Amino acid sequence: MRRAVLISLCLLCCILLADLSFAVEGNTRKGKFLYRKNCRSCHGVSASDLSPLSKTQAAWKAAAASHESIPCVKDWPQLSAGDRADIFSYLYAFAADSPTPAKCD
Amino acid sequence: MSAKHHRLSRRAFLKSAAATGIAAVAAEVHARGKDAPIPDASEVTDPKAYENVFTACDMCFNRCAVIARVNGEGQDRKILKLDPNPKCSKSRGMLCARGNAGVALINSPDRLTRPLLRTGPRGGNLWRPISWEEALDRTAQAMREIGARYSRCGMLFTAGADTQSRFVHRFAEAYGSFNITSHESLCLLSVNRAFMDTFGEVPQVDLLHCDHIVMLGANRFESLVMPDSADLMQAVRRGAKLVVLDPRCTKTAEAAAEWHAIRPGTDLAFLLALCRVILEEDLYDRAWIESNTHGLEALRAHVASCTPAWAEQETGIKAAHIVRAARELAAAAPRAVVYPGRRSSDYEDSTQIRRGFAVVNALLANFDRPGGLMSTPAVKLRDIPFEAPWFDDNPADRVDAGRVPLLFNDEGSFVLTRDAVLSGQPYPVKGWFIYKTNPMGTAPDREKTAAMMRSLDFIVSVDIMMSDTAFMSDIVLPAPCYLERDDPLFVLQGGPAGPCILTRNRVVPPPGECRPVFDVVKALAGKLDIGNAFDFTLHELRERQLESFPGLKTTLEEDGVFEPSPALYGLKKGRPYKTPSGRIELYSTLYQQKGLDPLPVYTPPAAVPADSFVLVAGRTACITQTQSQNNRLLAEFAGTNTLWIHPAAAARLGIGNGDEVTVRSSVGTEHLRAELTKGIRPDTVYMHSGFGALASGPGLAAGTGASIAALFESAYDALCGNAALHTTRVTVQRREGAA
Repeated sequence: MRRAVLISLCLLCCILLADLSFAVEGNTRKGKFLYRKNCRSCHGVSASDLSPLSKTQAAWKAAAASHESIPCVKDWPQLSAGDRADIFSYLYAFAADSPTPAKCD
Repeated sequence: MSAKHHRLSRRAFLKSAAATGIAAVAAEVHARGKDAPIPDASEVTDPKAYENVFTACDMCFNRCAVIARVNGEGQDRKILKLDPNPKCSKSRGMLCARGNAGVALINSPDRLTRPLLRTGPRGGNLWRPISWEEALDRTAQAMREIGARYSRCGMLFTAGADTQSRFVHRFAEAYGSFNITSHESLCLLSVNRAFMDTFGEVPQVDLLHCDHIVMLGANRFESLVMPDSADLMQAVRRGAKLVVLDPRCTKTAEAAAEWHAIRPGTDLAFLLALCRVILEEDLYDRAWIESNTHGLEALRAHVASCTPAWAEQETGIKAAHIVRAARELAAAAPRAVVYPGRRSSDYEDSTQIRRGFAVVNALLANFDRPGGLMSTPAVKLRDIPFEAPWFDDNPADRVDAGRVPLLFNDEGSFVLTRDAVLSGQPYPVKGWFIYKTNPMGTAPDREKTAAMMRSLDFIVSVDIMMSDTAFMSDIVLPAPCYLERDDPLFVLQGGPAGPCILTRNRVVPPPGECRPVFDVVKALAGKLDIGNAFDFTLHELRERQLESFPGLKTTLEEDGVFEPSPALYGLKKGRPYKTPSGRIELYSTLYQQKGLDPLPVYTPPAAVPADSFVLVAGRTACITQTQSQNNRLLAEFAGTNTLWIHPAAAARLGIGNGDEVTVRSSVGTEHLRAELTKGIRPDTVYMHSGFGALASGPGLAAGTGASIAALFESAYDALCGNAALHTTRVTVQRREGAA
């Protein structure tokens, strides 16, 4: 029982940390996959083009912190906090002013 | 043998080939005849007798715009001549020797024409022609097995600088592998790394409007980059001053106002001394520097001890010349540049050396201004997006990840990837898909590359000729050359000429059963159940791209080139640089955060033992590494390579001009003829890249000259993993008993 509580606490911490420090915790490769699956279905097709190069790292970080105010958030598919962290980690890691800006998306 | 080939005329070669029957060696490989004629420009006499086809050259990475003069129909269609497209500003209405020699690819006896299956040991040159269906089935089956056993990252993908390489990258992503490399990590990654980390982008150079150019190591009058090579000639004719620092007297050095035979590996000492003089004598635009750069005072403190006298001790260039160079550069600024260069695969601290290049340019306040470094205008073509699948069993990252702090994610490092494959760490990589690139001929330590290939379960190569890398593969698939295929549209940046958009239209039919790599990966994707990544035709992609700009389609049809003509200067006005500080980083915030030297720190090169030489490599205007080695026309001008050696060093070793010599490094031994010249330092020897092939075929290359890949050792840049070739030391001996 005690072990189960500990595991639950650890999981809760992981989720919270992932949300707070997406740039460190998120999986950028998984994020690229999720971005293509969930964002590119509109952006570049029926909505404005979008790629990691669309913003600086600071701007992506700010966008992640207040993702609720992103205009198209109501159109987003169901995304877990972990998925969102992965997507923003990808966008942040390959931003316009990042050490390795995205070549293609 | 090499010298003989060097003097062989085309006619004599064809006769000789017929007489000795060397073409018969690979008769089962090559369906085309050894006597096939090379088109002759003199045939073009009546303008009504031919039609024009717009295309783009592929004899090197420049991709100059071309008009092919063609006549005939179907399989009888033939190229009479290749001409430059005068409407392409980037190529300055020029087509070089290699561009003209593109016609020799057609009907070349060295062309691959059928899929081949290896039937003997790797490199044993035993092949069996197979059908495309069998070749694709075998490849798909091998990729399935490797993916299941080692994860999708168990496959490595490597593609050359080709317009269809983008499809190989897409295929790799769709398959699910993170492991993609290119030729770039054997060439220019450290210069890209340094300028990105200083300016936030890799700038172009406005040599056309420049008044003073200092060129270290680059050789623009032989190793052509367009429009830089043509613009540099214009600038020199106009009276711009060109100063070249190079251990050898290149053609560029011959045309310069000054040539300084700098000690190899000491460029950064020279550059730091330039900074000191410019700062100490207050020769910079204070207002511009203060509003555009970050870290001026830190730089000032950093270079305080880098006196011209100190730099003289390191570089061998007199202090007075260094002071004069700094004053002349500053006087001409902002129309003055330290030319960034292209190939920077030379030292283990090449990124820091190139940071020195970038920092001096920043002090010249030349960025985004005429006659200086140029920001790159954005020109984007529409694409067809796709969704790559996700595999939970894949490892976390690339196989070469984490070995250097600033690896380029899209390029990786060939040298580090090879080490990882050989060690099996951090995970096994057991398959390799290669398209039109030849690491066996260009990567350092050829024997190590061969060992890597021997360690793999499966290798498939797609190429137009039997390169040494294809030679070591399991399946070889024949591809059309650039004159035999349609290509997607592509964007080229042209510095002061502006960007342009080109495409390739098929000029003549391909030989035998050649298929473009687009068709290959599309077919494989279908067999691997990832066909959704290629659910379009090349024509449909081109149609999508043609929607990118109004008038693009019509202009391409009428002129063969589209120039969108965006603004070229002042792009950064009021906009932050793409760096952490938003400014040009003399002091790198990123490096400081990563615990690296935030200012370029000079590391003296290792001393050269008395009985050894520094080995450096380069090329002439007739050579594109191993890509040009089988071209019959170019072979008349550059049929082999020689070892440049100073007469004083040669005399000490008893070597005469033309003697065959043995060159040894810690990883290989090669033989070639000595060329005695005072145009090289006594502690340095030089050879052209692109010779000494292993693969035997009916062409000229096999056994001709010496291979740089066999001699260069496997050092790499400590920051980005780019190869570091010029750290290699060699001994040279006269080869006794050689004819």
